[in-house]
Amino acid sequence: MRIRSRIALVGGIPITVAAGIAVVSWLLLAEADRARSGAALAGSIYRDVLGTITERNSYIGAVPATRAQNALRFEAFAASASIRLQALRDIAGDPGDRAVASATEVALVRYREQMRELAEATAGNDRLIAEMGARAATLIRLTDQARERQHASNADIVAQLAEGDRRLRFARDVVDHAQELRAAIQAAALHEKTVETTPAGEARAVAERGLGFAVARMRNSAGDLVRLLRDDGRGPAAEALSGMIAAYEAEIARLTAADGAPRDRGPQQRLADWAERTIKINATEYRALHEEVAQLLTYSVSAAETEQATQNIAIDSLKLGRRTAEALATRDVAEVETILGESRPLPAAVSALPISPLIQTAMVDAIGRWRDGLATTGAGLRRQNDMIAAMDAIAVDMIGKASRLNDSLARNADSIGQFVRRMLAFGAAFGLLIGAFTAYLVARSITSPLKRLQERMLRLAEEPGAGPIPEAARRDELGAMARAANFFVHELGRREGDLRRAKDRADATLLELRETQANLIQAEKLGSLGQLVAGVAHEINTPLGLALTMSTSIDGEVQRFAERGREGRITRSDLNRLVERLTEGSKLLLNNLTRAIDLVHSFKQVAADQASGETRRFEMAGWLGEVLTSLGPALRKTPHQVSVACPPDIELETYPGALAQVVTNLIMNAVTHAFPVDRAGFIELKVTQPRAGMARMTLRDDGVGIGAENRARIFDPFFTTRRDKGSTGLGLHIVYNLVTASLGGSIAVESEPGRGTTFIIDLPLSVRPAEAEAAGRAADPVAEGV
Amino acid sequence: MPIRSWRPAVLGLALALLAVPAGAKTLVFCSEGNPESLNPQMVTTTTGMNAARPMFNNLVEFKPGSTELVPSLAESWTVSEDGRDYTFRLREGVRFQANAAFTPTRTMNADDVVFSYLRQWKEDHPFHKVSGGGYDYFKDLGMPDLLEAVERVDGRTVRFRLKRPNAPFLASMAMPFNVVHSAEYAEAMLRAGTPERVDEEPIGTGPFSFAGFQRGVAVRYRAFADHFAGRQPIEQLVFSITPNPAVRLTKLRAGECHLMAFPNPADAARIKADPALRLLQQEGLNIGYMSLNVTKKPFDDVRVRRAVSMAVDKAAIVEAVYAGAGVAAKNPIPPTLWSYNDAVRDHPYDVAAAQRLLVEAGHPGGFETELWYMPVSRPYNPNGRRMAEMIQADLAKIGVRLRLVTDDWGAYRVKLQAGDAPMALFGWTGDNGDPDNFLNVLLGCTSARPGGNNIAKWCDPSYDALVREAETSLDGDKRVALYRDAQVIAKDQAPWVPLAHSVVFMAARKEVTGFVMDPLGRHIFTGVDLTQ
Repeated sequence: MRIRSRIALVGGIPITVAAGIAVVSWLLLAEADRARSGAALAGSIYRDVLGTITERNSYIGAVPATRAQNALRFEAFAASASIRLQALRDIAGDPGDRAVASATEVALVRYREQMRELAEATAGNDRLIAEMGARAATLIRLTDQARERQHASNADIVAQLAEGDRRLRFARDVVDHAQELRAAIQAAALHEKTVETTPAGEARAVAERGLGFAVARMRNSAGDLVRLLRDDGRGPAAEALSGMIAAYEAEIARLTAADGAPRDRGPQQRLADWAERTIKINATEYRALHEEVAQLLTYSVSAAETEQATQNIAIDSLKLGRRTAEALATRDVAEVETILGESRPLPAAVSALPISPLIQTAMVDAIGRWRDGLATTGAGLRRQNDMIAAMDAIAVDMIGKASRLNDSLARNADSIGQFVRRMLAFGAAFGLLIGAFTAYLVARSITSPLKRLQERMLRLAEEPGAGPIPEAARRDELGAMARAANFFVHELGRREGDLRRAKDRADATLLELRETQANLIQAEKLGSLGQLVAGVAHEINTPLGLALTMSTSIDGEVQRFAERGREGRITRSDLNRLVERLTEGSKLLLNNLTRAIDLVHSFKQVAADQASGETRRFEMAGWLGEVLTSLGPALRKTPHQVSVACPPDIELETYPGALAQVVTNLIMNAVTHAFPVDRAGFIELKVTQPRAGMARMTLRDDGVGIGAENRARIFDPFFTTRRDKGSTGLGLHIVYNLVTASLGGSIAVESEPGRGTTFIIDLPLSVRPAEAEAAGRAADPVAEGV
Repeated sequence: MPIRSWRPAVLGLALALLAVPAGAKTLVFCSEGNPESLNPQMVTTTTGMNAARPMFNNLVEFKPGSTELVPSLAESWTVSEDGRDYTFRLREGVRFQANAAFTPTRTMNADDVVFSYLRQWKEDHPFHKVSGGGYDYFKDLGMPDLLEAVERVDGRTVRFRLKRPNAPFLASMAMPFNVVHSAEYAEAMLRAGTPERVDEEPIGTGPFSFAGFQRGVAVRYRAFADHFAGRQPIEQLVFSITPNPAVRLTKLRAGECHLMAFPNPADAARIKADPALRLLQQEGLNIGYMSLNVTKKPFDDVRVRRAVSMAVDKAAIVEAVYAGAGVAAKNPIPPTLWSYNDAVRDHPYDVAAAQRLLVEAGHPGGFETELWYMPVSRPYNPNGRRMAEMIQADLAKIGVRLRLVTDDWGAYRVKLQAGDAPMALFGWTGDNGDPDNFLNVLLGCTSARPGGNNIAKWCDPSYDALVREAETSLDGDKRVALYRDAQVIAKDQAPWVPLAHSVVFMAARKEVTGFVMDPLGRHIFTGVDLTQ
């Protein structure tokens, strides 16, 4: 099989598996969707059910006026829950869920029914509670009426008592006067008898006089009584009395007239009877009135007590009413029972109390009805509470079911989702596994020949002569590759042989070149040392020559003086001239020898620096002077001027030998290359300190400059434009190496043809030997040994 | 289903509540005294009868304001040829009242009628001895001796068989003691071990049901909604017990009661003048008398009795106690009652003659005895005490010293009927418009037994023969003659000093309508209403 087909096979398996998974997942996801919407429904149902419960609770707690709203909201929630439950039943896949949904619906239906009953019961109870208040008000109204009546009655009693008192006094007065009259009548009767039995004469006259006074007394007494009776409006009785008195007086007149007619006892008897009767009647009336007044007083006292008792009942009723209202408001059945118990004796108490019969029955009834109502209300409340409890039980059941439904459906949705995920994961893993396995097999079928091919090719690469790759015989892409590789290896072997040979030649050349370069550098170094030595010798030669000449001259003078001495012809002038000559000579000797010593010293220093390679702290300006001095002999052979400008206070701690070589090389480079033969040039060496810790050395000439084509190469080894003049092309290379490696600085060149060249060297004021060493070691091997 | 049972309860309550403000009319009657019992079978005073009356019905009743008999619980009746069988056809669907302890399960039937009679009649009846079992009226009328059988023919038919014809029998059936009780209630109470509740908390078929009795304070009733003749216009009826007429009047004027019994005749003018009040008056079918207990010395001597009769100044009594609203009496029956013998000559008021008689009787220095007087005002005697005091004054003239004695009204009656009082003020208002109701019940030998209404305990064979004959006779003229003769004997033997026939006064507030005074002294509240 071709690799293309195999790869197609490897790619195809996962795609097929993925497609399969996708199809199944799609189906399952649809299911999961259903489950999820079921769960969402169940969640809504749960909320609805919770809503019904909340509204029911609010309904119970609400004041009667606002209950309707709670009931409405309850119905809205219940209706919504019902609709959703039906929807859920249609959606739910699990028969268990369907059953729970149905059960929840049944519970909801019962809950709604109970709610309706509760609403009725509550409305009834609210009505009863309102009626309780009305009844209490009735009681109060009744007692108020009774009190008003009693107040009116009290006024009447007072009037009646006043009237009774008046009649009482009247009866008493009548009785008193009647008794007086009776006594007067009896007295008159007595006198009458005396007159009757007394014969005419003085005695009779006395008796008659006595009778006259007795009759007068009787008349007076009767007159008082008549007046009393008239004043009381008893005219007829008064008239009758007056008549009787008159008749009796007439009879007595008849007696005193002594007409001899038979005595008529009638008038006297009638008068006496009348008095008796009046006394009897009025005395009994007096007692009767007395009794009446006493009864009225008793009644007024008891009426006050009645009023008090009535008020007490009203107050008790009010208290009970208040307690009841509270108990009813809080649906406290126990308290209602307590109140019922406490109020049980109340009807009997009210019945037993001497309260107005007008309201007593009404009060007993009101209390009875109130108690009945309370009992009914209490029972209603208990039933309501039972109903509430029952509803709570249903609610718990219902909410439990809704919750379970919610959980179940959510779990279902989750589990389907999870299943889908797991299935996707498994399917993917399985697909990948199959794919991987297939891929592995396919890859192996590709890679093992490929690897063999690779090994062969590698071996071939290592050992091109190892022979051709045998897989070239294969018919697939590998075979083609092997054939190509064989061809390539063959070509490669051929070319590599050529190259190796060329390289070997180049290597050999390079080695030679390196050796040459090192030799050259060494030679250059030695050359510059030689130049130095030559310069120094020349310099020393002059003072030494002069000293020699002087010493020779002095020797001659001394010889001449010694001759004269021996001759004895030494004169003052001879001595003076000798002293003058010796002084002058010794002065010259001293100067020239000092100069020689200085030169040696200077040379020694430069040479020591060159040789030691140690770091040293030195003062730049002085040190530059020394270097230039050592260059003096070489420079003096040229027309060019060198000026040095260096601030006095710059100290360096660096390799003075290396720096001296740099300065020497640059100056000599300028002297050698910068100026045409016929022209005197100017070289300026300036030291500045552009920033702390570093010194800048600028070497500028006003020479011909360096062309752009050469400028980049001036630091390359062996680059020179004056090879013809014997330049090695190593001077600036050495400078470059020393500056960058040994001295830790940098060097740059600025130049243009015809406008001079400027080398700018930046040096650290202090270079640590380690750094320098490291720098030195890292430097090009060419710089080694410098 | 708790709810179902609950709704009607609420509904009922609501209806009850609605009913209260609309029909909460309370009629208060200021009555004159405590009823001796609430069971009419056990009372003989009009006070007791009136207090029990609103709760009960009889087989036949007197039309209010007259002595005409009309059907009540019996819708019809027949009398056998020989006058010994009375068959009553009972009204159907008559309900008994209910109370806390009892709710009737059936309507009134023959068993209730039979029970009501047998209780009084048969001494071995389980209820005969309950509550003391006096049944004085039943006995005074000779019922035990008269009845041969009381039979339940069927549920709606009862037959009374008499041993002999009895002229006033039908009228007796209308009397308070012949009310119909609930046999079912009695049975229930007997089972409950509280048979006396039948008498203490009576249940009848009357227009008002019992609501409470507070001795000395009030008897309370409630309109019985299921009364066969319909509900009463007033909701509550109260007898506010107020013995003193002045206090009664005060209460009436204050509006604490709407009706009052027996105002002091002296106050009649004042009541007439009060624009808020109405004075009702009627010549009473009554007699106020002083009995002389013939079983007690010296009243066993007819001369003493006559002397006492002559010493009492009836005119002064009529003038002072009755305030002119009455006439002096000479016979035991009022002049308005048929067979009144106006030919009888009263013992004259003659102190001297009285003294003579006493001397004859061996009491030249007089004697000392007790005169009992009633503590309450009666229609026939507005003021017993004053009357007693006046008599005391009168008899003092013949040397008779009277100690005045009284007792609580119920006890007073019991003691009088027991024969304890040598002299006693008493009286009677006819219960059925038959002379027998006076002449037999009050003076016949039957009621002369201890406990009987004949408080003089006078038993005169010739007199008794006359009234007994009159009782059994169905011939009106003959009865008139017999009673007229009986009155002659009564006058001659003077067991009583007949004092006065009164004009009975009642006073009502102007807003009371429908109240009719009754010649039989009944206070009938059927149809009484209050207008505002």
